[in-house]
Amino acid sequence: MIAAFFRPDGRNLSKAGIALLMLPFFALIFFAFLYPLISLLSISVLEPEPTLENYRKVVDNPIYLTVLLRTLWIALLVSLLSLALAFPVAWLMAKSKGPKVAFITACILLPFWSSVLVRTAAWAVLLQRHGLINDGLQLFGITSEPVRLLYTQGAVVVAMTHVLMPFMVLPIYGALRNIPADYGRAAAICGANPLRTFKEVYLPLTMPGIIGGFILVFLTSLGYFITPALLGSPQEMMIATLISQQIREYLDWPFAAALVGVLTLFVTVITLAFSKVFRFDRMMGGAA
Amino acid sequence: MLDGRTVPVDGAAISLRGLEKRFGSLAAVDDVSIDIESGEFLALLGPSGSGKSTILMSLAGFERPTKGQILIDGADCTPLPPHKRNIGMVFQHYTLFPHLSVVENVAFPLKMRKVAKAERIRRAEAALKTVRLEGYGGRMPKQLSGGQQQRVALARAIVYKPRVLLMDEPLSALDKNLREEMQLEIKRLHSELGITVVFVTHDQGEALTMADRVAILKDGKLQQISPARELYERPANLFAASFIGEMNQIPVDYDGGIVRLGGGQALALPREAIVQPVQPGRAVLAVRPERVRIVAASGDGALPVTLRDVVYAGAGTLVIGDLADGTEIRARIPSAGSAKLRAGTILHMGFPPEAMLLYGEGAA
Repeated sequence: MIAAFFRPDGRNLSKAGIALLMLPFFALIFFAFLYPLISLLSISVLEPEPTLENYRKVVDNPIYLTVLLRTLWIALLVSLLSLALAFPVAWLMAKSKGPKVAFITACILLPFWSSVLVRTAAWAVLLQRHGLINDGLQLFGITSEPVRLLYTQGAVVVAMTHVLMPFMVLPIYGALRNIPADYGRAAAICGANPLRTFKEVYLPLTMPGIIGGFILVFLTSLGYFITPALLGSPQEMMIATLISQQIREYLDWPFAAALVGVLTLFVTVITLAFSKVFRFDRMMGGAA
Repeated sequence: MLDGRTVPVDGAAISLRGLEKRFGSLAAVDDVSIDIESGEFLALLGPSGSGKSTILMSLAGFERPTKGQILIDGADCTPLPPHKRNIGMVFQHYTLFPHLSVVENVAFPLKMRKVAKAERIRRAEAALKTVRLEGYGGRMPKQLSGGQQQRVALARAIVYKPRVLLMDEPLSALDKNLREEMQLEIKRLHSELGITVVFVTHDQGEALTMADRVAILKDGKLQQISPARELYERPANLFAASFIGEMNQIPVDYDGGIVRLGGGQALALPREAIVQPVQPGRAVLAVRPERVRIVAASGDGALPVTLRDVVYAGAGTLVIGDLADGTEIRARIPSAGSAKLRAGTILHMGFPPEAMLLYGEGAA
């Protein structure tokens, strides 16, 4: 029985063996992701009767398009900010050794393991009217009275960046760690100053990690719910909050499903565009 | 030569003066002074941890010496960062940039020197021709074999006509046949370009075949720096003697003219056997195994030896035996006369006076 899962040489798995091991994964993807998504999307075109009316509503009402564009904009801001903050951290991690790496990794992963809700709530505490930041600003005389920080787009961007930054650090660190130290030396002895070495060697070789991290953060940001819901202003909604509102307050499942459809379309198009432009396969060093 | 002509550039003269590099309390390089002539091929040879790589890294500018100076053509370049030294370097693991094509890799140093694109491609192609990789420019490094990659690295190191070429065990990642081919290739380039080469290796054969002079290092200290023949035939101390090739080491008593072996035999020592002054008393007599011969018992200086092992190796045979006091002695003799040798028998060995070298005990 067991023998059927191994190839005759006894070392590698047979095709049946591989299929069996993959089965739980595909089952999970199907029942927990594909099936609900397809049912939801079918609602958007089948209810109340077979129609595109729900999608027309999304496109016709400028409010909904504004929400969509704002969501894209915030996701882009969060991704860029994460990249700017994550790269130096990843660089430091890659250049350090032993306990220092463990320390930096812990600094990044510990918050990562705590609940998103807790981290978002922490920002609410910091940013509130009489929070640490407002008190500090007044103490140093930068402002004379409390500034509105909470329930703004800025609060959402800052908190989301904080929550999502580890997704950016880890792939970049992985890419940097795989670059042998001799590459930097080779560039230097060829006459490249440190800035040139970075631009000509480290940056291109880190690009797969940067793109990977960027896509992770960007796509996660698009559908982000808790942080915008808790820290954002109701007048500046993001699409996840809008969808939730349609379902829970207006019980308008077909329209919410249409919004999901539009979001899914955007995510798919953006992912395809990224992989087309940046040629993942080539950057991974596969088919050179 | 890179333009298709063979005009050798003058290699730079390099002078290391009292170079020292400490890592904490450990001296990786300890007061090393070497003068390297223009156009010379110098090998730095030593076991791992001997400081040979640290010297090379200091020359390249990747290590900052804690003491001493590095002069290139008389100019002190000790504080200069690597990218301003205009030195070529080949690393152990090729280190071609994987995201650049072969020709882009070779053109990289020219790009850093702001050479116009068409010109740098032309010169890179010419450099590829010098290492006999014409037509490979469009490929990616991964599509080349190890030997080809190392040749590309070589082309990249010489394309900007540096006057010094550093090589950090460049052949150790290659298999034996390729290694020998690359040794010849590097020798050819060296004589064609007239460039000064400093070559780090732990392979003594490589050092002896390739280099004009070999510097032997141990524990960060320079042991000896000599041409290959002198190094092999007249090693300066016991360490150099045993590090290069095989060496019989026979403990003796030295009275200023005659050495007495443990078994009681006395041998007259020619004046040339003393490389460095040796104090009378306990000393070590060193003889290369290929100078040891099987002789008749009645011969002058014949030493009785109990045979322990006879190892046939094609052209030559290694004969291992014990002297009267138990000291091991090895002889490498032509296989033609070794067929009747058997372990356990007693015979006599001897060596010509000029094959003997004497070192003070503990001078290693």
